[in-house]
Amino acid sequence: MRISVMSQMQRSFSIDLPSLIPLQLPSRRYTHLWYVIPDEVKSTSLLKRYSQLLSQTEKDGVDQMRGDELKKNALLARTLVRTTVARYQTNKAFDPRSLMFKKNVYGKPEVDWQNCNNQPLHFNISHTDSLIACGVTVHAPVGIDVEDKERKIKHDVLAFAKRFYSADEVNFLATIRDPEAQRKEFIKLWTLKEAYVKALGKGFSAAPFNTFTIQSIPGTEEGYSLCKTSEVTADPLEETKKCNGEWKFALLELADSHYAAVCIEDDQANEGAPMRVIVRKTIPFVEDQLISERIFL
Amino acid sequence: MASLSTTSLSFKAPSIQSTTTRIYQVLRKASSFQSISFGRFQSSKRLRLQISCAAKPETVQKVSDIVKEQLALSADTALTAESKFSALGADSLDTVEIVMALEEKFDISVEETDAQNITTIQEAADLIEDLVQKKPAACSIVELEKVMFYQRCISSLV
Repeated sequence: MRISVMSQMQRSFSIDLPSLIPLQLPSRRYTHLWYVIPDEVKSTSLLKRYSQLLSQTEKDGVDQMRGDELKKNALLARTLVRTTVARYQTNKAFDPRSLMFKKNVYGKPEVDWQNCNNQPLHFNISHTDSLIACGVTVHAPVGIDVEDKERKIKHDVLAFAKRFYSADEVNFLATIRDPEAQRKEFIKLWTLKEAYVKALGKGFSAAPFNTFTIQSIPGTEEGYSLCKTSEVTADPLEETKKCNGEWKFALLELADSHYAAVCIEDDQANEGAPMRVIVRKTIPFVEDQLISERIFL
Repeated sequence: MASLSTTSLSFKAPSIQSTTTRIYQVLRKASSFQSISFGRFQSSKRLRLQISCAAKPETVQKVSDIVKEQLALSADTALTAESKFSALGADSLDTVEIVMALEEKFDISVEETDAQNITTIQEAADLIEDLVQKKPAACSIVELEKVMFYQRCISSLV
């Protein structure tokens, strides 16, 4: 008797989810960047509602995390993805619980559209202890990476870079005298490189960090470009570099505390056109806040 | 200290190769000898035994210590071989730093693509053992004595 009352309550509780405010899909060349600050989500009843959105696999994933903070952040990450993707669907009553996810053959998470092919929406998420972000684009794969600006690495910055970054990037970092400024540039490069590999979606073996260089575009404040080094030959002087505009980058700061890098594949139709990023902070079901709209050349 | 079990060995192998292959299989089923693991047994005209000098539980412990340090976990955090880095809050930058620390600790060199694919303590320990094994062996006297013991066993059975 008691059990059926409980399950009845649970059912009505779950039907009682507030509806999500729908969103217009981003235009081509636009990335919508959403972020959540875990510390700002304190309500246990809200977190309970979030957990009701998750699939069993996702719930298991959250349970696997060691510690309450990690569990909460894992829950928020899945919630952010589900609610954000759901809001862009044209069906206004789209239930975020009905979304299915899969991984591509290399392990990159994607929406499983279940026979509704040719869906234009792409997403990618990244998180740190104190910020969770989700980037959304149309018609172009996207990769994002966020990192705490104050992130300290245990190894010497140059030693790390020599081990993992490209030669040009090591040279760039070596020219920076101030250790703090050098560390910051190292972190920025890390987010840019991660964002590229995630946008590529073919796993790290497809683009080892030392086979490509990301560098600022001279004359721009925040423009970055990608150069790939050719197959390693016996003579390092023979290495040729291919720098093309196939991949566009944006580097921003979020909440004064994080670097965020966005990388998208340049749509043929928009070759050379600038990239725009619209940043919004959100608490799913509660509020959205437009933070900025920026152009990156 | 390892010892041969009392499983009786009866076989009709005409050649040394199949004899020693069977012994290898019996020894594996025998009581555990954790400090020596036989590498892939290569069938060749000459007997060859590959010796691994890194004990698995020891390696797992060393990896756990490095992981705890990198992720700033408390000393009493219970880690097992199956512990996943991501479940402990490690991101890709942490994983790479852990690999660098392991390279320094074990004096090995990890391919970048292998570095990014390590997800658990066991996987890290396995990769380390694999790489250490490929290095010229720097075995202790105790390990060498064990090797000689087994070689004598095998040659006495032939």
